[in-house]
Order: sequence, then C-alpha cells, then structure tokens
Amino acid sequence: MRELINWIADPIRSFPIVCVLFYLMMKYYRVVGSKKFLYVALAVIIPTAVWFAADPNFFTILILPDNIPIIILLVLVGYLTWFSLHKAAINDERIEQGLGPVEGTPENREKVWCWPNLVYTELFAIIAATSFLIVWAILFKAPLEEPANPTWAPNPAKAPWYFLGLQEMLVYFDPWMAGVVLPGVVVVGLIAIPYIDTNPKGNGYYTIAERPVAQWGFQFGWLVLWIYLIIVGTFLRGPNWTFYGPFEYWDYHKVVAEYNVNLSEFMWIKWLNTAMPENMFVREILGILLSLAYMIVLPPLTAATKYGKMMIEKVGQMRYYIFVVLLLLMMSLPIKMVLRWLFSLKYIVALPELELNL
Amino acid sequence: MKKLEPGMAYDTNKLNKIFAFLSVLFLMITVWVFLDDYIRPWKAVQLEAMQIKKQKLQAKLEEAEKEINKDKLESLKKKMAEAEKVVAERRKEIRKVEKEQTVVQKKLKAETILNGTLNSQVAAYTFKYEQAQLKNKSNKAVIFAKLKENKKLFAESKDRMKEYQFQKKALFKKKEKLQKEVLSIEREIKSMTTTRDLIAKAVEKTKMGPIFALRNSPLIDYLDPTLKIEQIVLDNITDDRYFQHVPRVDRCITCHTFIDQPGYEDQPNPHKTHPNLDLMVGKDSPHPMKSTGCTTCHGGEGHRVNDFTSVAHWPQNEEQKKEWIEKYDWHEPHRIPSPMLKVSQTEASCVKCHQGVEFIPGATVLNEGRRNIEKYGCYGCHKIEGWEHKRMPGPSLQKIASKIDKEFFKNWVWDPKSFNPHAMMPRFFGQSNNSQPKHMVKNVAEVNAMAEFIWDKSKAYKPFMKYTGGDVERGKELTAQVGCMGCHGVQGMEEISDKIGAYAGPYLYGTGSKVDPDWLVSWLKKPDHYQEDTIMPSFRLTDREVNDIAAYLMTLRNKKFEGYRFEEMDKEARDSILMGYLSAFDTEEGARAKLAKMSDRERTLELGYRSVGKYGCYSCHNIDGFEGRAPIGPELTHEGSKPLTQFGFGLQKQVEHTRDGWIKAHLLDPRRWDIGIDKPFKDLTRMPNFYLTEREAETMTVAIIGQVNEKIPLKGVKRLNANEKIVEDGMKVVNKFNCIGCHQIDGYRGDILAKYEDDLNEGPPRLNGEGHRVQLDWFHYFLDNVYPIRPWLKVRMPSYNLTDKERNTIVTMFQYKAEQKALVDRSKVVDWQPGEKEAAWKLWEEMACASCHTAGFNNDDPSAPNLYFARRRLRPSWIKKWLYDPQAILPGTLMPNFWVDGESTSPDILGGDPERQIDALTKLMYDFGTEKLPTKNTNYWSKQ
Repeated sequence: MRELINWIADPIRSFPIVCVLFYLMMKYYRVVGSKKFLYVALAVIIPTAVWFAADPNFFTILILPDNIPIIILLVLVGYLTWFSLHKAAINDERIEQGLGPVEGTPENREKVWCWPNLVYTELFAIIAATSFLIVWAILFKAPLEEPANPTWAPNPAKAPWYFLGLQEMLVYFDPWMAGVVLPGVVVVGLIAIPYIDTNPKGNGYYTIAERPVAQWGFQFGWLVLWIYLIIVGTFLRGPNWTFYGPFEYWDYHKVVAEYNVNLSEFMWIKWLNTAMPENMFVREILGILLSLAYMIVLPPLTAATKYGKMMIEKVGQMRYYIFVVLLLLMMSLPIKMVLRWLFSLKYIVALPELELNL
Repeated sequence: MKKLEPGMAYDTNKLNKIFAFLSVLFLMITVWVFLDDYIRPWKAVQLEAMQIKKQKLQAKLEEAEKEINKDKLESLKKKMAEAEKVVAERRKEIRKVEKEQTVVQKKLKAETILNGTLNSQVAAYTFKYEQAQLKNKSNKAVIFAKLKENKKLFAESKDRMKEYQFQKKALFKKKEKLQKEVLSIEREIKSMTTTRDLIAKAVEKTKMGPIFALRNSPLIDYLDPTLKIEQIVLDNITDDRYFQHVPRVDRCITCHTFIDQPGYEDQPNPHKTHPNLDLMVGKDSPHPMKSTGCTTCHGGEGHRVNDFTSVAHWPQNEEQKKEWIEKYDWHEPHRIPSPMLKVSQTEASCVKCHQGVEFIPGATVLNEGRRNIEKYGCYGCHKIEGWEHKRMPGPSLQKIASKIDKEFFKNWVWDPKSFNPHAMMPRFFGQSNNSQPKHMVKNVAEVNAMAEFIWDKSKAYKPFMKYTGGDVERGKELTAQVGCMGCHGVQGMEEISDKIGAYAGPYLYGTGSKVDPDWLVSWLKKPDHYQEDTIMPSFRLTDREVNDIAAYLMTLRNKKFEGYRFEEMDKEARDSILMGYLSAFDTEEGARAKLAKMSDRERTLELGYRSVGKYGCYSCHNIDGFEGRAPIGPELTHEGSKPLTQFGFGLQKQVEHTRDGWIKAHLLDPRRWDIGIDKPFKDLTRMPNFYLTEREAETMTVAIIGQVNEKIPLKGVKRLNANEKIVEDGMKVVNKFNCIGCHQIDGYRGDILAKYEDDLNEGPPRLNGEGHRVQLDWFHYFLDNVYPIRPWLKVRMPSYNLTDKERNTIVTMFQYKAEQKALVDRSKVVDWQPGEKEAAWKLWEEMACASCHTAGFNNDDPSAPNLYFARRRLRPSWIKKWLYDPQAILPGTLMPNFWVDGESTSPDILGGDPERQIDALTKLMYDFGTEKLPTKNTNYWSKQ
C-alpha cells in the first residue's frame, strides 16, 4: 500500500489525478459542498492522516519546524474550500428556485452596530492570534541553522514554505521564467482581477453557477498550481530536489533517470534526421513559431469561438484579450509539465546564447 | 434563542465572557513567556555547582578550624583582656593624643587646600610668563613678579605641610605606644585565624539569601546576576563565518563550572575538573583556558547554551548514548557539519595547531596513530600535507629480478601475509569484492603480467660477494647483538621483536625462502651497492660475520610458501582486461585492431604496465616508467572536514554513520563498500587490506579525522621559532634513518632499549642533551667515520650513507636542541694555575679513573671510553656537569659520582672544593687528550 502511494505521489501521476479531482469537485460541487460529504470526507481523511503520520519517514518531514505552517495551511485551505462550495451550493440552489442568495434575505441584510459587534470581536481575534503565535514560538523553536556557508549549501535547499510552489516551477522552466517572469505575471494578474472581472454577480455571497469562468480559472490556479505544488515541494521533494514518495527515506544518494531533450533537437535530429543548423534562430524556429502562435494567434482564434464572442460581448475586447493572455500564461505551466513528463522535453525554445529559454 | 437588542449581532454578556476568558489566557501566556525565558537548563547546573562549592568550602572551613590551636587562642584572648585593662588605665593620655591628632589633621587638610591652589597658580603664571616672554609683552615684568611671589608662597606652604605630616606621624606612634599591649596580641590572633576568616568569607558568598534571590530574579536579572552565561572570547582563534572570521566564543564553562579549578576531580560531569590540568586548561599549562578555549580541541558548538544536545555533544559509545538519551534527552544534532569529537578522539585536534612536527608530546593516541600511518605508509598513496618528506614506504623494485625469483614475487603479491605474517605490504587480492572466480582469473592474469613487466624493467645486478657458509648460532647471536633489531623484527626471536616493535625495515621472516645467499651477503656487507638510496646502513661487518648472519637468516624458511605454484596466466582474461583499457578512448573495433597488432609478449607487458598503474604499486615502490606519477589514492589533508554525505556507506548498515565510523571501518576492511553492489571489474574498490588490528585502526582514525581544513589564525597556532624549526628539520632526518629505533633522544623513542631493560647501559647510548655533550665538528666527522667509543657495547653504531647536508642537519639539530650553538675553542681550555696540574693527576690517581678508562694508561681491558679522544669529542662545560652528577644526565650509568652532595671524596686536594677539582680534571683531559680524530687504522684503545 505504501509502495503504491509512493508510486502515485509522483507528480507525473499525482498531477493528472489532482486535475481530475479538481474537475470532479467543481463539476459536482453541490455534492461536495454538502454536510454529509464533509462528514464522510472527515471520516476518511482523519484516519488516513493518522496512518500517514505513523510512518517514521513521513513523520520526520511532517514535524520539521519549517513545515508546521504548511500543515495549518492544508487544514485551513481544505476547510475553507469546502465552506465556499457549501455556501455556493446552497445559494445556487436558491437562485435556481428564484429565491436569491442566503446573504440577500431580509434578516441577513439587517444592520448592526460597529461597536461592539465588529471592533470587540476584532480585539478577540487579535488576542487569540497573538496568543497562538506566542505559544507556537515557545513550543517550536525557530528553525535557525548554522551561518550560511557558500561552499556547503544545505541539501535540499528549500525556499520559505509559501514559495515552494515557485521553486517547484524551477524544475520545468528556466530560472528566468520560473523565477522572474511567471511570478511577475502572477502578481500583475492578481492585481488586474478587479479590472478584468466586472461581473457584479457574487458580490457579498458565494456562488459558482453565476460566475463559472472566474471560479474555475482562479480555483485551478490557486488549488492545483499553487497549493498542490507547495505540497509537492514540501513533502515530496527531498535532497537534490529529487522526488521522494511520502513514505520514502530521504537518502542523499538516490538517483533518478532523467535526460531531457530540447524541442529543436527533437525536430532536427529525430524527425528531420539532419544536423542542427548553425544559426540559432533557424535552429529554434519551430519552438519560436509555436510560442508565437500560442501567445499571438491563439487569442484571436478563441475570440472567434462561441464562448469568446459571448465574453467579448460582456466585458469588451481589451479585457477579454488581457484575460486570455493571462490565462494562457498560467496554462503554460501545466502544459510544460505534461510535455516534460511525456516527452522529456527540456525547452521549447532553447536560446542559451541569449539566456532565453522557454 | 434569546432575543437580541436591536442593532446587536451578539449578546454583550457573552462577548464580555469571551473577552474575560481571552484576557486570562493571554495573561497566563505572558507569564509563560517570562518563565520560558527565565528557566534555562544551565541555571540548574549552576545552582548545583554552587551547592558543590559550598560543601567543598564548608569542609575546608572545618579543616581550617581544626588547624587553629584552640588552647593558644584561649590564652591569647585572656591575655587580651588583661592588656585591655592596662591600656584602659592610660585612657586620659590616649584621649589627649587623639585630640591633638584632630587638630593636626585639620591643619594638614587646610594646608593641602592652600598648597593645591598655589600649585595651580604657579603653573598658570609660568605659562603666562613664558607667553609674555615669547611675545615680548610689556607686562612681563609684572607677571614675573607675581610668579616669583607665588613660588615663594608655595615653597613656604610645602614646608608647613611637611611639618604637619611629621607631627601626624609622631602622634600616631605615640598612640600606638600607649596601646602596644593590645595591638601586639591582636596581631597574633589575626595571624592564626586569617585562613579561616578568608574561607568563611567565601562560604558567605555561596549563601543563597535575599540578595542572591534579588540579583537573580526575573526582569532585573540583567543588572548584576550571579547566575549567568560565562564565556571565553578567543581573539587568536576564529570561527569561519564564511564571509568573515569572527573571534570564537566558548560558553562551555557556563555548565562546566570548575573545569579549570583543581579540587573537583571527584565530582560527576559537568562539574568535574579537567583530567589533564597540567597540559590543558590549567592557568599555568601551555594551553590555558583563556587563550585556548574548549571547542578548539573538543569541537562542537561552543557558543550555544540552549541545552545539552544543541552544543553537539557526541557520545563515546552506545552505552553512553543510552545514558545520555535517558539523562539529557540527547539526539543527533541536526545540520552540524562537525559535531564534538568523541572523548577518545580529542587528540585529533592537536594537528590543527601543531603542524610540521614529527611528534606532539602528550598526544599519546595521535602519535600512535601517526606512527601507524608511517608504519603502513598511508602517505605513499594518499597525499597528506606535511608528510611529503617521508621516504617511499616500500623498497625499490628497480633491480628486483636479481633479488628474488618471479614465482616468489607472484605468490607474495597475491598474499603477502601467507609468506610473512608480519608483512606490512597489504593484500589486494582474494578480498570480499574480488573473490569470485571471474575476478580471480583476471587478477591472476594481472599479477602474472605485473611480474613480467617489472622483470622486464628490472636492471641487471650481480652480487659482489659469494656466500661461503657460516655458523648459524653465531649468526643468530650477531643478529640479536649488533643492532639489526632496531629496525627489523626477526623470526626465531619473536618475543623480543614484539617488545621492540620495530618497523623501519621488514620483519625478517622466511628470508631463506626469499633471497639468494650471495645477494644476502652482498646486501649485508654493503647495502647501497644494491640500492643507492636505501636507508639500510652498513654495520662494518667482517666477511665472517656477514656469512654467519646470512647463515642464520638462510635457515629461516617458509616451506609451505615455497610449495606454492602460482597459476598460469589465462590469455583470454588478459586480452579481455586489455580491451577494457584500449577501448577507454577508442571504439571496440579500434581497440581490437590495436590489440591484434600487439604480440603476445607486448600484450603481457602492456597489461603489466597498466596493472602497476591501476593498483598504484609505484606509489610505494620505485619502478622505472612511473617517475612523477601522482600517487594513486585521494588526498587526505582535509579528510576530517569532508562532508559526511560524501562518504559512501554502501550497504554497510552496521557501520556507525559518522566520519570516524566510516574511516575506521574502511581501514579494517576497505572492500566492504562493494558488498552487494554491482560494479564492473575495473571499478572495484582497490584500496588494499592491511589487516590492521582494532587498536591500529582506531589510532589511525584519530590521526586522519584531525586533518581538517579549519584555518586557525597564525597568532593562534603553535609556530615553531627558528630554533624549533631547525630541531624539527633534524628530527625529520633522524626519523628517516630511524636513528630513534636505537637511540632514545631526550626521552623520545629508542625502541631497541626494550631489549636492554635489565641494563640500559648495554643498549645504544641514550642521547640526553647530546648537543651539549659533543663538539659539532667531531659529531659531523663521526657520522661519516664511525668508530667505537664504548668498549663494553656489543651493539654497533652503523655507518649510514648520509649526504653532507643530512649530516649537518642532524648535527645542528642536536646543537639547537641542547641550545649549544657554538663551537668551543679547544685551545683556550687549558690554562693551569700553579700546582693545579699536579693536583689533577693526584685526583686522577685517587679516583682511580684509569681503572675503567684504561686505554693508554694500563693494559687492562677498557670498560669506559678512551679519554685521549675526549678533547675532540666533549665540551668542557659538559664534562664538568657530567663529573658533578652523571646520574642527572644518564640515569643508571655506571660512572661513579665522586662529589655526592658537593662532598668531595678527596677532601685534601685543592681544599676539597668540588668546583676546583672538577675544573682541574677537565683541564687534565684536555691537556693529555689528542687533537687527532681516529681513522680506520687507528688503534682505538691505546694512548694517542
């Protein structure tokens, strides 16, 4: 069983599984959002978690002081996701029946005093949070290490827990892309959301049915591309950033077979069976064309589809194209991941001469 | 559900309750924070230490109390009462004096103020006047007058002050006189009780009263606590923080409270005194705590005091580990590149600061380890900085064909220990990783090929002497006597060989099965005839002696080994290995073509050449064709700092997962890492098996883990001064030729002396302060022209093939070691006082010097050196020291002492003054002594 889980946990297998689970969750959110489902899920998850923790190798990783926030995060994200689905499920059903969301009922629209209802409870939150942080600080010492030694980096060298998803991206992208461009786009994209998403539905209440694109797109980016990758980076990446199953011992000497090939090498050597051209742009022509097509040709093409037309009608040309470009950039990560796993593809465009690798 | 007020989402009462609960919780957590910060493990240790100190002091106090003579104290106290009565009668007079004292006191104080004022005035006017003079101001005359005036007043005031001081003194004396009875008894009592009172004061300090509690209470304990973190800051030793070197800070003494104080040896850790206070930590030791610290030697994280584990304590063994887990909740410290050294391995750290020396006094285990490294020649294959000067560990193979036969060679290489159980040559074959038949075939091919290759390279050599047969018994006796055993163990004399433990030369075992008798006699007669750079010296043996020794050595046979026939080479195996080599940079086909071009012989020789390179034979033996090749093994200079993750533990789960665990396991069985691992033939681990004992492996491990790359600043390391450097250079030569195999140099080594335990005088002379004993020109001459000095010795000083530079180095070493750097002018020693010479001869007669030092004086057999040669050999100051007390220089010498405790045995000569008598005898020896140095043709035991 443990062997099986170790085997499944490899991103090659677990990423598609997570994608499928995500799809199922969003598709059947009314089932998932039911209380019954929560109880069943808890009944399954809690014993499973205990069983996981009973394994000495997994337990060692689990109790690392660095990893405690991630455990908290997992619990919170799990619960809050279910909570939003739960609320959305109720609201959507009511909306279908023409009742409007729960938050919109007269008794929920009644106004209350700021003091003490808000300020007082905020004070509680402050005290409780401070207490929690202090107790945490006392019980778990800060995971400080020896002064940094440039000739002897810790192995694995891991980023702070909230950046582990980004670090995982480094496996698939050039540092320029994974470390600068994509995180930059993430920040810009998040800032841009309120300007792109002008759909007034869902203000002040939970709903999925009324804003499917926003929900599906954002939740995918958040749960699959961010949280899932943090989990991978935390629990499944060991020394040398090699993949280790959750029950596997972190042996420094573990070796995995990996040999990655550039798209240009595929094209010239394998398909055309000729030598690589001298000129680097000719050499990388296929990758360059594909990339350009992906970023420039694809948006207008989507605009011509039924959905595209519908959306342009709603939000306008400019918003639509910005949205599509951001979405394409986001989707480049899973695409690249799949390509890497399926074809050992290193770079689509490999121009180390210009320090430009895609 | 209760109805809420309008505008309210929650019940206010309920909110208040939550607030109360949270507030209490928060308060408790705040208290917890302070407690957590306040309660530190080391505080408990320090409290415990205070208790121990208190107990010790109390015991001392009781002892001091006992020391005091009670009766005497009582009687003194009685006397005191009487004296007080006497003094009380003089009360009036004393009062009067006291009054006068106050008056004088007042006057003196007033005068001091006036004097001070005037003094400053004078200084100010002096400056003003000088300025006025300089600028030629018109008012300079006025200023000058004022200066004069002030100076006068100042002088007068000074005078008055002196007067008052005299008065004060006189009054004090007067008062003392009036009270003298009381004062003298008081003084007496005090002298009896000082020690006790001092201890009592110290006891007072260990009391935990309210002041103690206040000083150590939370929140104000930053002001002046008594319980605090103690630390040593080392400016001369730094921690490498990678971007900066910072002074090392050791806080170990926070818990190891009494580490530098004698008297706590009986306490358990951490309160124990350091076990070696004379050498380490002690104030007067060469490594005082304040400048050496703790982690410099022990390693670990000295700046941490969080808890027992965080400082990276490391248990000595499983037992201690269990104990620590129970007692201190110990676990392996995380992310510490170099945890503390195990206690038994602490000496490893000596090497950090003591570099470039052959021997580190006091470092017993380390020295033993380094000796074993030298013995087995680890440095031959593994570069170790500081070992470059060592000679090749194995003999030259450049003329091997004339020494032994090929069959012997192959069997020997296959398994040296099967021929000689004491062999230092390690075994490469038949190990755990190459014992499978498929490997054996290839190994056999390699050994055969190596033999062919080496024989092919071997130069012709013909022994210059013929063995003519000899007396075995006499040969055995000679072998034991002349000094062979200073370097060689000898079969047939195992017990004494083991005692000596010599390793500079091979253990002579089965020699008769190994070499040809003609070769042996030639070798014994003149070793450098066969190998120019050998360190084997000539013992100036006669032809008969040589034949006798050879006769004995030829009886040492290993019949079983002689019966071995080495397997023939499997040509297919040979070609398949060769293919591996040839295809390294070529295709299979190319390699095959190359191979096809080679003749059968060429193939064998090529494989031989490759195999010598593969196994690194050339690292220990001189073999033509391998000059300048880098040694085969990885460098060990910084082995002790190699990250643990870079040690391959293979599948050896039982090996302790530490650096020293790996190294020791590796030394005991180097091939173990291959077990269960799939490797091609050419990649099998090649480090040979030395069949070391546990102890050897352990000590060598200590020496190796000491090889760290920690940079201690120059001001922190032991730097040899010019003298010490010269001595060390000399010791390197002395070590190379194994002089210390026979001679004990100022207490160091002298291995062969183990054979002469009953009478050290029968063994090679101990060289105590040799540089002081002998003149340097004589010494330089002697090393190249050895002649017998001590007639009773059977052991011989051999003649070495030393270069002039080596001779000079040795001579200078001894001179500098004894701090006798200059040559003594012999011509200035003899200047007789009137009658002195006659007296000297008289002493000579009375002390019967010639009864032992007979040479040239009578015809008896000499039993002491020929003194005619003393003039060239001995320094006058040494002769004097020697005569005055021979035992002080050479304990156990037979030379009698004629001046025991400064009492001359001839009191009527030269007034019985030992100094004059010894002086006269020294002059006498210089007077009749010869300037000639003995040559080969000299009769050593006659008048010169």
